[in-house]
Amino acid sequence: CILQCFLSLAVFGRAIHAIARISDEFWFDPIEKGLALRSVNSSRSAYACVFFSSMFFQHYCWTAVSQPCQQEQQLSLPCKLIIKSVLPVFRCANVLERNVEKCSISTNPSEHHITFQLLCRHGVVKTYNLTFQECDPLQAVFAKHMCPNILRVHSRLLADVMIHFPTSQEEITLSVTPMKVCFKSYTEEDTDFSRTMLTEIQLSPEEFDYFQVGVDSEVTFCLKELRGLLAFSEATSVPVSIHFDRCGKPIAFSIEDLLLEASFILATLCEAEKEAASPEPACHPRPWDSKADTATSTKPQQKGNTPSMDSAKPPSALAKQEVKNIPRGSEREVPGRAGAATANAGREATEAPYEKVRELPVNSYLYNHCIFQFHSLFFGAVSYKEKEAIGDTFQSLVTASDTEEEFGALQSSPV
Amino acid sequence: MRFRAKIVDLACLNHFSRIINTIAKLAKTCILRLTVCKLYFILSDKVANGGASMWCELSQGNFFDEFQMEGVAAEHNEIYLELMPENLSRALKTSQSAKAVKIKLTNKHCPCLRVAVELPSLSSSSRIVTHDIPVGVIPRRMWNDFREPSVPDFDVSIYLPVLKTMKSVVERMKNLSNFIVIEANLNGEMNLKIETDLVSVTTHFKDLGNPPWASEDGCQSSAQDRDLESMAEACIDIKKLQQLLAGQQVNPTKALCNIVRKRIVHFILLHEEVSLQYFIPAIA
Repeated sequence: CILQCFLSLAVFGRAIHAIARISDEFWFDPIEKGLALRSVNSSRSAYACVFFSSMFFQHYCWTAVSQPCQQEQQLSLPCKLIIKSVLPVFRCANVLERNVEKCSISTNPSEHHITFQLLCRHGVVKTYNLTFQECDPLQAVFAKHMCPNILRVHSRLLADVMIHFPTSQEEITLSVTPMKVCFKSYTEEDTDFSRTMLTEIQLSPEEFDYFQVGVDSEVTFCLKELRGLLAFSEATSVPVSIHFDRCGKPIAFSIEDLLLEASFILATLCEAEKEAASPEPACHPRPWDSKADTATSTKPQQKGNTPSMDSAKPPSALAKQEVKNIPRGSEREVPGRAGAATANAGREATEAPYEKVRELPVNSYLYNHCIFQFHSLFFGAVSYKEKEAIGDTFQSLVTASDTEEEFGALQSSPV
Repeated sequence: MRFRAKIVDLACLNHFSRIINTIAKLAKTCILRLTVCKLYFILSDKVANGGASMWCELSQGNFFDEFQMEGVAAEHNEIYLELMPENLSRALKTSQSAKAVKIKLTNKHCPCLRVAVELPSLSSSSRIVTHDIPVGVIPRRMWNDFREPSVPDFDVSIYLPVLKTMKSVVERMKNLSNFIVIEANLNGEMNLKIETDLVSVTTHFKDLGNPPWASEDGCQSSAQDRDLESMAEACIDIKKLQQLLAGQQVNPTKALCNIVRKRIVHFILLHEEVSLQYFIPAIA
């Protein structure tokens, strides 16, 4: 049973609102160091995590609950809540602090309840008992420090940029070179230009608190999902850090201070390979083989650890050109694969192009031993079983990304 | 066909934005006509628009610091573009603190009005926001559809009451009925009436004044022989009237309406640099 009282109710409320933009349900995951709220959207292309350290709360009490069926390392079982039921508790985050003196949250695992209790002014006590669902832990790990491009900017600036886009704008493209930064409405080849208004904002690198562009890139991500984080960061006025790589690799927006850390990790669209000589194997959705995946996903130093091909369904509503979308980052894999060098493996492992969040199955090898360990692979490593197929897929991938004619040798494209 | 213009003065920019906002409230799609001296926003009275039509005219010199236009041909030095004023409104919405706004006709993927807003920024170089608004070029053979409407042969012409008051009255009436009757007489009196099965509401305005219209052939003077008290009325769609009133962001210098009994109501709103005419046909 865990009891917490808030230091800043409005911030907590806003975090819930931010996560609500991602999905209808979220994971409530108390651990020893603090409370994590996580969410992932249905197409697995956006993941949000807000972690409140125990110091955020006036009083944080967490006890390990041992469950007989789990291994010893099972320390706590996260649970899933429907956001719609929690949102009313924290509606009007602004007025919350004025009216509510104290808020406490406690969990009652045996009865599958989480109780939110608000002690308001004038002796009014509001108690919300919400049922939770036990579930598998959710964790996406993204090696931010491996990203070549890092920008840090005050949340006000990001808000000022996004205000130029209509609220209905779904996706935007961030394009960076060492000389300039540009946010623009996303367009694809078959966009009807005669009907769409396009907006583009150009900023100079000087406007950023921290500006590092290791590789010129153009990444497209879903703005709607990000708006949650933008609103939240404006409330906390902590600068926002953006970590990203080339298109196809995920982009992470995060804020961090002493008491909390929030990260929104979004999949990005890969535009390059639009007319792929649609290689069947590459795009053929394969059933997600979690066991095999987990085996390969744990150790970053594994040789021959090729990042995933489309071992699972092509991602997301984002990628409207589903089948045509060759698994991303193919260029990068090639040299790595050719060498399968350990030096590269670590790096390339983190660049698994497949931006899907995976729920770790409870019984898996990974879960039992590695749940709290750093995952070097973001998602979807290819299992050993599928390795044979890679030969073919790689060839076509490579040709697709380079030229359409050469079906022959595996070419190393310049990284 | 070329067009480029630039606004540097913030007051002009805000004024221009307000006009665009007003237009955006009245029409989803309209025609922008560009001539050397003026800009016109035109809505023709097609059935799709509910029969309402609009003619808004402004002198470019009052707004733009630079204005260069080359029409379709030398003898027809004008450009007619079809666009959604809402897009233009949105593009200008966040330009309140702009250093400059440039508008240009371009044709990258399709004809567009490119609005480039230069905003101040923390660094030495400005922030540039570019909006590409798709437009349709109207061919010359269709220009006749968009001629300036003539002032109808009205029965009564009367100044409107304070628009803010009129707006709040109409807004409340809108909740009760879809149609509103405007009636006025040459004695400066106007009534706004709604009538449903359950309720009827009338708001009376008086001492509004009637604008003097120059009588060319003396037919207007015969109106003076008519009964000053007799009301000319027209029943119109209340939403159209509400849109017109809600769109007004600044009080006009002059606001009047001409009523043709049971046919049409013609509103004229004059500001210093812009004139807006709006025609709402009467419901049979």
